[in-house]
Amino acid sequence: MEIWAHLVDGFAVALTAQNLLWALVGVTLGTAVGVLPGVGPAVTVALLLPITTKVDASGALIMFAGVYYGAMYGGSTTSILLNTPGESATIITAMEGNQMARRGRAGPALATSAIGSFVAGTLATIGLTFLSPLVVELGLKFGPPEYFALMIVAFTTVSSVLGDSTLRGMTSLFIGLAVGLVGIDNQTGQARFSYGIPQLLDGIEVVTIAVGLFAVGETIYLASKMNHIEEKLEKLTGSIWMKADDWKRSWKPWLRGTIIGFPFGTIPAGGAEIPTFLSYAIEKKLAKNPEEFGKGAIEGVAGPEAANNASSTGTMVPLLTLGLPTSATAAILLSAFQQYGLQPGPLLFEANAALVWGLIASFYVGNVMLLVLNLPLVGLWVKLLEIPKPQLYAGILVFATMGVYGMRQSPFDVFLLYAVGLVGFLMRRFGFPAAPVIVGMILGPLAEEQMRRALAISQGDPMIFVTHPISGGLLLLAAVVILAPWLWRRLGPGTKLG
Amino acid sequence: MTPHRPKGQIAVAAGTLVLGVLILLGSVDLPAGGGYAQVGPGVVPRVVGGTIVLLGALLMREALTGGFRGVDEEAEIHLPMNWGAFAWITAGIIVYGLLVERAGFLLASTLLFVTVARGFASRRWFLNALVGFAVSAFIFAVFNYGLGLQLPPGVLRGILP
Repeated sequence: MEIWAHLVDGFAVALTAQNLLWALVGVTLGTAVGVLPGVGPAVTVALLLPITTKVDASGALIMFAGVYYGAMYGGSTTSILLNTPGESATIITAMEGNQMARRGRAGPALATSAIGSFVAGTLATIGLTFLSPLVVELGLKFGPPEYFALMIVAFTTVSSVLGDSTLRGMTSLFIGLAVGLVGIDNQTGQARFSYGIPQLLDGIEVVTIAVGLFAVGETIYLASKMNHIEEKLEKLTGSIWMKADDWKRSWKPWLRGTIIGFPFGTIPAGGAEIPTFLSYAIEKKLAKNPEEFGKGAIEGVAGPEAANNASSTGTMVPLLTLGLPTSATAAILLSAFQQYGLQPGPLLFEANAALVWGLIASFYVGNVMLLVLNLPLVGLWVKLLEIPKPQLYAGILVFATMGVYGMRQSPFDVFLLYAVGLVGFLMRRFGFPAAPVIVGMILGPLAEEQMRRALAISQGDPMIFVTHPISGGLLLLAAVVILAPWLWRRLGPGTKLG
Repeated sequence: MTPHRPKGQIAVAAGTLVLGVLILLGSVDLPAGGGYAQVGPGVVPRVVGGTIVLLGALLMREALTGGFRGVDEEAEIHLPMNWGAFAWITAGIIVYGLLVERAGFLLASTLLFVTVARGFASRRWFLNALVGFAVSAFIFAVFNYGLGLQLPPGVLRGILP
């Protein structure tokens, strides 16, 4: 089979000493930023983008991907011990895992989430290995109208599924699209929204936006609104290892979580939040003693943790095969590819097979590394949680400003960073999600390009998007995603009457 | 019946409206037609600007009719804004932008570290300055020498290797 040959070639790339080292650096950094509150994988990858000028493409991408899935492992440690979910996908872990920790079962909670993440990460990588070539086959048949429609679907799901309001999600998305407009139009050379400021001609860097919204906005928010809230760090006492009973109760939730999480990652359905909730609900339903849920049931940690890991690996399928990012970090990974002049998509699998398969193979290796990093060495990461908040956030801002300034040695970018940070603060304060901004600004220009290409084919006839069945169907799906909550409300009272 | 009007939300909705209008105004001069596609660089900005105006109007309607859906404005009001902390962090970043090329990366970063820590109510000035300098030196070593990013030495030019 062709896949095996590709995979063997991939391992040949991933197992070189240099790439092993990059993977190790990536997953270690990923675990660290996953553990640390206030800094996530999106900001980290954005800050590391400058290394693309020094490191070859496979090494850098292997490292970036390691940061991405490593953060998922680290995030659960924080949720369990601190009860502050680092990201929405670990809300459930924060709930159930922290309950376990309070009852002196922090060890097994950490173990089941690390092993569950490993099982799910590995199974999802197998899924990625075998599903990708099929999606590539499909993707090769797509033309500009289909790609445009796919991107519209990604826009709608990212902005309506993430967060709790479609209206605010759409607002975030369109702000991102507006940011993406700044700079020179890549098809006509026309400058847009630059107002004669030379720094704006090249467009606004994703680093500035990601770091501003996530790191600076978050820091301002925490300092000015939250600084009187005390957090309690649970002690890691007793054995970290799981007992036979814990294993017996964990393995099925791991597998079920994987089966739920992976498909959610692969379809552009916006993030790992929904599958974790689904997995939790299912485990609660299937459990022999559902009354234990909410008071520290190990199934309620094992299932959702597997689901969020499987889903984050699943996100790689649309990213690599179609060039479609469905989360903020995936969008920044896409811009990392662009730094090398590479465009993820079906053609990448043909033109850069060694790179893509090397990256996929590195996921297998990285998950093994993460298991070791997060299980026997978990005590080291717990130490990170003891860094006091003032010094932690001060350090984060030192890194953030360095990354943004160092990008092109321009103090202008530092001031822009502050402005974006203020917007991020306001968005956080008023409940606007940040991820759609990132996806919008990176995917927006690509969508515009596909739209204009499609219209060039049809000589300006917009009906091309509807008459092509796949693109028509996808656009209909996007409309349903946007209008469903509204229709639901309209029809809801009526059904009660009937 | 709303006991009070959520001023902040109204301001956010108004800001969104203004942003949309500004984008529409900025796209007036951009050609909308031309080329085989009949779609010039002005079309998408008009669509984006128009949609933001629409979204701003919808946000305004929510703000005026009971507040943004799903946002607990009551709870937010009980978390009072700490303007002192806000000012420390603002000053930290702005001063960093002004100083980074004149005083150099190490000093500007150390100062930023101290001000942000102060924003989080830490008053251990000396310790923070020491830790801040150590963190900045580490970053300088890794990114300037290791990864070839050009960080300005500033007043320490000549002293640094």
